[in-house]
Amino acid sequence: MTLILFAFLALIALAGGLGVVLSRNPVHSALSLLLNFASIAVIYFLLHAQFLGVVQVIVYAGAIVVLFLFVVMLIGGNIGPYRHGSRTVTSVIAVGLAAAFLALVVWSVVQVLPMSATPVGAPDAGSVQAVGMALYTDYLVPFELASLLLLVGMLGGVVLARRYQPFAEDETQ
Amino acid sequence: MNLPHIDFSVITPELIVIATALVVMLAEFVGAHATPSPTRSHRIALIALLGLVLAALAAVAGLGRAATDIQGMLVADDLGRYLELVVLLAAALGLLLAWDYLPQFTKMHSEYYALYLLAVVGMMFMGKSTELITLFVSLEILSVALYVLTGFHRGQLAAGEAALKYFLLGAFSSAFFIYGAALLYGDTGSTHLVDIAARASGGFLTLAGLALLLVGFGFKLAVVPFHMWTPDVYQGAPTPVTAFMSVGTKAAAFVALFRVLQAAGVSYATWSLVLALLATLTMTWGNLAALRQSSLKRMLAYSSIAHAGYMLIGVTAGMQLGLSAVLFYLFAYAFMNIGAFAVVSLLERPGYHATQDATIDAARGLFARKPLLAVVMAIFLLSLAGVPPLAGFFGKLYLFNAAVQSGWIWLAIVGMINSVVSAYYYLRVTVLMFMTEADETSFLRSPLSNATGLAIAVAMVGTLLLGIFAGPWLQQLGQAALAFAGS
Amino acid sequence: MSMDLTAIPLLSLILWLPVVGALLLFFVRKESTIKLIALATMLLDFVVSLGLLLNWSNTGDMQFVEKLLWIPPLNISYHLGVDGISLFLVLLTTLLGPIVVLYSWHNIKNNLRAFMVLLLVQQTGIVGVFTSLDLILFFIFWEFTLIPMYFLIGRWGGQRRVYAAVKFFLYTMAGSALMLVVILLLYWQTGSFDWIELQQTPLDPTVQTWAFLAFALAFAIKVPLFPFHTWLPDAHVEAPTAGSVILAGVLLKMGIYGFLRFCLPLFPDATLRFAPWIAGLALAGILYGALVALVQKDVKSLVAYSSIAHLGFVMLGVVSLNQQGLAGAVLQSVNHGLSTGALFLMVGMIYDRRHTRLLTEFGGLWKQIPIYSALLLVVVMASVGLPGLNGFVGEFTILVGAFKANRLWAVLGTVGVIFAAWYLLAAVRGMLQGPLDNPANQKLQDLSAREIWVLVPLILLFFLIGLFPNLFLDKINPAVETLLHGMNAAAQISFLP
Repeated sequence: MTLILFAFLALIALAGGLGVVLSRNPVHSALSLLLNFASIAVIYFLLHAQFLGVVQVIVYAGAIVVLFLFVVMLIGGNIGPYRHGSRTVTSVIAVGLAAAFLALVVWSVVQVLPMSATPVGAPDAGSVQAVGMALYTDYLVPFELASLLLLVGMLGGVVLARRYQPFAEDETQ
Repeated sequence: MNLPHIDFSVITPELIVIATALVVMLAEFVGAHATPSPTRSHRIALIALLGLVLAALAAVAGLGRAATDIQGMLVADDLGRYLELVVLLAAALGLLLAWDYLPQFTKMHSEYYALYLLAVVGMMFMGKSTELITLFVSLEILSVALYVLTGFHRGQLAAGEAALKYFLLGAFSSAFFIYGAALLYGDTGSTHLVDIAARASGGFLTLAGLALLLVGFGFKLAVVPFHMWTPDVYQGAPTPVTAFMSVGTKAAAFVALFRVLQAAGVSYATWSLVLALLATLTMTWGNLAALRQSSLKRMLAYSSIAHAGYMLIGVTAGMQLGLSAVLFYLFAYAFMNIGAFAVVSLLERPGYHATQDATIDAARGLFARKPLLAVVMAIFLLSLAGVPPLAGFFGKLYLFNAAVQSGWIWLAIVGMINSVVSAYYYLRVTVLMFMTEADETSFLRSPLSNATGLAIAVAMVGTLLLGIFAGPWLQQLGQAALAFAGS
Repeated sequence: MSMDLTAIPLLSLILWLPVVGALLLFFVRKESTIKLIALATMLLDFVVSLGLLLNWSNTGDMQFVEKLLWIPPLNISYHLGVDGISLFLVLLTTLLGPIVVLYSWHNIKNNLRAFMVLLLVQQTGIVGVFTSLDLILFFIFWEFTLIPMYFLIGRWGGQRRVYAAVKFFLYTMAGSALMLVVILLLYWQTGSFDWIELQQTPLDPTVQTWAFLAFALAFAIKVPLFPFHTWLPDAHVEAPTAGSVILAGVLLKMGIYGFLRFCLPLFPDATLRFAPWIAGLALAGILYGALVALVQKDVKSLVAYSSIAHLGFVMLGVVSLNQQGLAGAVLQSVNHGLSTGALFLMVGMIYDRRHTRLLTEFGGLWKQIPIYSALLLVVVMASVGLPGLNGFVGEFTILVGAFKANRLWAVLGTVGVIFAAWYLLAAVRGMLQGPLDNPANQKLQDLSAREIWVLVPLILLFFLIGLFPNLFLDKINPAVETLLHGMNAAAQISFLP
């Protein structure tokens, strides 16, 4: 049962991913992304990772995709024509590398099959409480470091978003 | 539930730098009419410099002490402390370069220095991480900070292009890294390097995970074939940032790479061959590409790729000799490379919309105009080429020695041949400086400021003396490496 | 009569004095003071180096040894010493130092200070090469000598100076690249970089072969042995006179010295195996150098090609692998340094006056500048090997050694001597005799007192060596004997009678 559900969701997620890359209309891309995010959220639930699933819906499907859509609407849906398939050699190489990579991942996973049928953790391992406990005890260090990362991101945002001000005496040149 | 016990002494230097970063960030709001000015920028830089010096003192104070850790995620061992010293040295030199360079093109001084210090913190944490998630977050801290610093010259197209390129490729490499970490977790059920070392199956999953981690490191180290971003980013970024990151990022990534490889769970024979091939490719490609550059910054970018290749020889050689050689080389590289970039920053034509860059021709006739500067630059370049008795030669000597002692004779030969190739493009600059006359293409920003002068002087003294008085120093690095390899 | 100098680290003093002088130059502005300091340093260095002779004992061992552990983790030490093989090369170096400074007194127009600094540190590098007994220390000095010469050629050289300088640097650096790897390989095998310890550790023949080839490549380029000589004509011709003198006088000897000091005693089996091949190359070099010198129109390139021939001759002595051959090689190295140094100086002197070195521009100089002409004749005679002068002793000893090793070598080598007489005398005839028909030559000034003083010490030595060769051979012979016996004991097949 879980397997069938997983396969179904995985196909949807894949379709969503392809939709993001292949569709020419940015709005369609963003919506495909939403589809992808949502189906992955459900996969998280299947794996008993409730907290992740919720975060996935709220942050990614909710905030980020909406942000994307806002930006697309603000700029205007039609970004203009772009060159397509002009470099066949590179795309062949890229597809080849991607295929090799896929084979590598599949092969390495197949090697360790059959894995234990149940997910690694207990059923409530993904609950808000369990995740919170883990973050504040065992994974306190990376959690605290993440706050530094956010600070860097914030500072970076400020720097990039602020109007560029060269020094006054140079502006006239 | 019991809260974890945290031994803050493990991260004293990092805490000092973080505190300094916060102070620098808030310095923006001090003073009634806080208008940015060079004087103000100098004050902020001074605070940042003090923080770096304090952190370095803290790191030095810890040298020789037994290794302590926080929850097995961050470790304070001598390897980590030496890494901190390299990064802090590079950061201090880069900061001195920015001293007068920064106010020329921007008003956002406290933002610059805060981001700069946070990048430093990221590097220091990265070299001390013994757990993959911590490692990843540290990597991201330094990466994101550097993406922004690369594009700091907002008026320039080239800077924007460089930042965007760096960001996209960097994000891509982070994805590889995290994928590799996930595979290793899948293999062993843990993200701690100790557990991975103990539990890794050694099968295909371990290999794939390790390979992906290696790709992630490869991007940060600018290892061929993951080097494409390097020339554009090094050229587009403000020169002080380029100087700092060319050394700091490498240092952090190399030490982290050593930690990961030690826990690889894969035999030495497997990964050392891969690394030997990568080293060969990186050295050769970097040097050959550097031959054809007409921009000094791009030339030094390709040269830094080649130097990553030399250091990979040390990684290939393994944990003891190789590690101490790489550590030594990082110090030597910090002095000579930042020194070279310092001179390059003086040869740059300022431009607000065009690319701000130093062409090789700008160095024409430098000896006639500023003899001392030309001599100093020649010494940095000859050291990069590995000519004795400069620091770069001793660095290469120890690297190649490590290679030969572990049986990688052909790798040492490839390295020596590459040194000769590289001598050609370094010599080209000395030819222009000493053996041609100045013409309209030559350029020199004047006057030489005290801060840049100090940076050049420090780099110069290091390049001249590090190798000659290396004896006891190398012994200490060797002990650090031994302690690490035995742990 | 001899003072006891063993308490003083004499070699270190000789080695580092020039650097001290060079550092002093940074604090001086006046050109005349710069020249004086440079000359005084060089003279002092020479006087100090004479101390070696005062306390010399005629044994084959290393003397004035200084040893200090330098880089403990790798067991690299600051290990110096001289024996009969290196003694006169060191003295030659310190003698040429003041001579080139004095020669350059007036004709360095720009950056005199930098020029003098380079000459001084160059001297330190060369003395270091001749006295190091630790392979890494040796390699450091060996490579270091490239830097000053590169800048001397590139900054103060002739028309194609940049090309010549870069070629010189890359060629020599490429040659010694493999040498470093092999030094590390020896360390891996034996755990030591020390020359004395390495001698006592027998090496596997395969290792010997590779090690010999790598060392020989580096040294053969320096000598230069045919066909590795192509950098030499460029570098010699384009270098400023002082540079040419140092290049021909002592830099090339570093290659010969390398063979004697390292290849022979450390890799005896490989040496025996490759000796005939090297002899072949040396003979090819003798004939090639002579033939090319014959058709040169520029006096300086004529002297440059003659160097290839002369050094081929010295190499022939080296690979004879007997007492006479080796001793002759050492002595002839010194002779060549003196006589070719003097030749370059004299070519430089005429160039300073006429700004050309083409043979066709000259003729009949006897009538206009007799002192110059007389001295040139003496110098050429020394170079040609006239009995009574130094060249004869060296060439004769080498020929005896070569004859013992292989008669054909000696015969071909003699042909080379005849060629040398031919092209040098032809050049002298063209310059000094005939009508004084070029108006530019009719206004030539004869040598100044300074220029004569530059040449006098060299010419005195021609006679000293030529008339009393045993003063020198007595000191060279024991070292050569020790070397040969050590080789014989270490080699798998005994080759000494």
